[in-house]
Amino acid sequence: MRSNRFGLKKVIAFISMVILAIVMLYPFFFMISTSLKSKAQYFGAPGHSLDSWKKLFSVLPVGKQLLNSTIVCAGSIVIILIVSTMAGFAMAKLRSKASPVIFVGIVGAMLIPLQSIIIPAYINASKLNLLSGYWGAIFVYAALGTPFATFLMTSYFRGIPDDLVEASVVDGLSYYGTFIRIALPLAVPAIITVVVLQFIQIWDDLLVGLLFIQEPAYRTITVGLGALSAGRVTDIPVLMAGSIVSAIPAVAVYLIFQRQLVNGLTAGIGK
Amino acid sequence: MKKASPLFRQRRRSGILFSLPAFILVAAFLGIPIIQAGFFSFTEWNGITSIWHGVSTYNHELHNPIFWRVLQNNGFLLLGVPIAILFPMGVAFLLNEKVYGWRIFRSIYFLPTAISWVVIGMVSMRFFAQEGLLNGLLRSIGLGFIKTDFLSSEQGALFAVGITFIWSMVGTNTIIFLTGMATLDQSLNEAARMDGAGNFRIFRSITLPQLRRFIQFSFIITVISAFTALFSLIFVMTGGGPGFGTTTLEFFIYQSAFSRGEFGTGAMLGVILFIMMAILGIGQLLLMRSED
Repeated sequence: MRSNRFGLKKVIAFISMVILAIVMLYPFFFMISTSLKSKAQYFGAPGHSLDSWKKLFSVLPVGKQLLNSTIVCAGSIVIILIVSTMAGFAMAKLRSKASPVIFVGIVGAMLIPLQSIIIPAYINASKLNLLSGYWGAIFVYAALGTPFATFLMTSYFRGIPDDLVEASVVDGLSYYGTFIRIALPLAVPAIITVVVLQFIQIWDDLLVGLLFIQEPAYRTITVGLGALSAGRVTDIPVLMAGSIVSAIPAVAVYLIFQRQLVNGLTAGIGK
Repeated sequence: MKKASPLFRQRRRSGILFSLPAFILVAAFLGIPIIQAGFFSFTEWNGITSIWHGVSTYNHELHNPIFWRVLQNNGFLLLGVPIAILFPMGVAFLLNEKVYGWRIFRSIYFLPTAISWVVIGMVSMRFFAQEGLLNGLLRSIGLGFIKTDFLSSEQGALFAVGITFIWSMVGTNTIIFLTGMATLDQSLNEAARMDGAGNFRIFRSITLPQLRRFIQFSFIITVISAFTALFSLIFVMTGGGPGFGTTTLEFFIYQSAFSRGEFGTGAMLGVILFIMMAILGIGQLLLMRSED
């Protein structure tokens, strides 16, 4: 009797989990099934077709926009990595009286919402002629990602024994050499976490790309889709095909680096 | 005072030098702009020239009914926060009981965090449309008379945005609570059970207090998302409408500046948003500190 009730509970829990899985996967079902219909089929005509996929490539410069997304992501992430590993190393291993102030200055910027700075930042970037290419977006993404990345790097480098750094300095390595040869190789797991978190965030972002990339030829795929969907007179199956293309890289990164993503997310909780 | 050794001085100098690039980047693109936002919030600004008005700009906005309408929308989304926390907590609790296939479920629930709000918004828009799945589901359970294009009414559209927001938080919050539940001290449960405590009592008196830090974290992430992460969703789903039906503060900032050219008003709204988030963040910090 008791084990029976226990079994029933498990079955109910399992069924609830399956239902929730369907709810969470619904966008994927919808995207795939809708993209395999022509416009007429979407409005009720029977059958499936690849019409919308063919159309997608004429409506949206998919290849070019995927390339743009890649360039913007790569550029911002490289900058984030360079500045955050250096700052994190300094905060953890090269401490002085100034460190806490600098640390608060960098990491405290996490409290600033993007929307609060976006107007002055936009005007500044336009005055500096940063809006015509990729650079405006790259710098803004880099600045937005740096506070948390520095926080993560600092806590990571704190886990490396001080002796290791001191020993290599005593052995004649400069602090720069110690950073490059000793500290950086040890920080690879934290670096991967930053890359994965930032890649998904930047790849999926609309607002910064929308404002800081003025030339349509430089638009990222997410901005391209957003602009297309805001056009209102739209071909939904084509939009869904575009959505799938835009989602694939981020989903792939998610599937491969799930653990690092979770680590990054929960890093904010630790003491 | 002891004189600093050359090695110490070199270390200090390197430390400052190493943190400079990050500091300059953050100062240039976040620090200076937030100060500029503070300055321009007291002005009428079209992006090129500005006229100083002082505090009257704030005073004026506080008497603007649309501003309060917008905050009301934010308030409505906040009502979703408890659901966006408690529901995933329940899900994490079940997964933690090691339901068959729990690892796969965990991956599935977290998967939507990898897709863009733009994509989520486009799908969600169709879900809530006149001929969308939701109306179909309502009809099939005999509630067909409700049938409506949710996005065409102010309340309906806000409801649709709110539901999409809650849906999108499920993955993140489930992961947070699963992480938390993995840290639970099982021996406490056993001891309590020996003393005759029931499941509910154990959950309330033992599990919840141990999860406190995780509940706080999930609360702050969820509230910050409600205030600052929904721009793209609203942009794609409703464009802030109908009317001001789904215009939240963050969307209002964008509209003020980039649709109406009122850069000063936009900067001011940005300052208001910043103050709200800063109070939340600092409050959270103090709370955590007082517990340690």
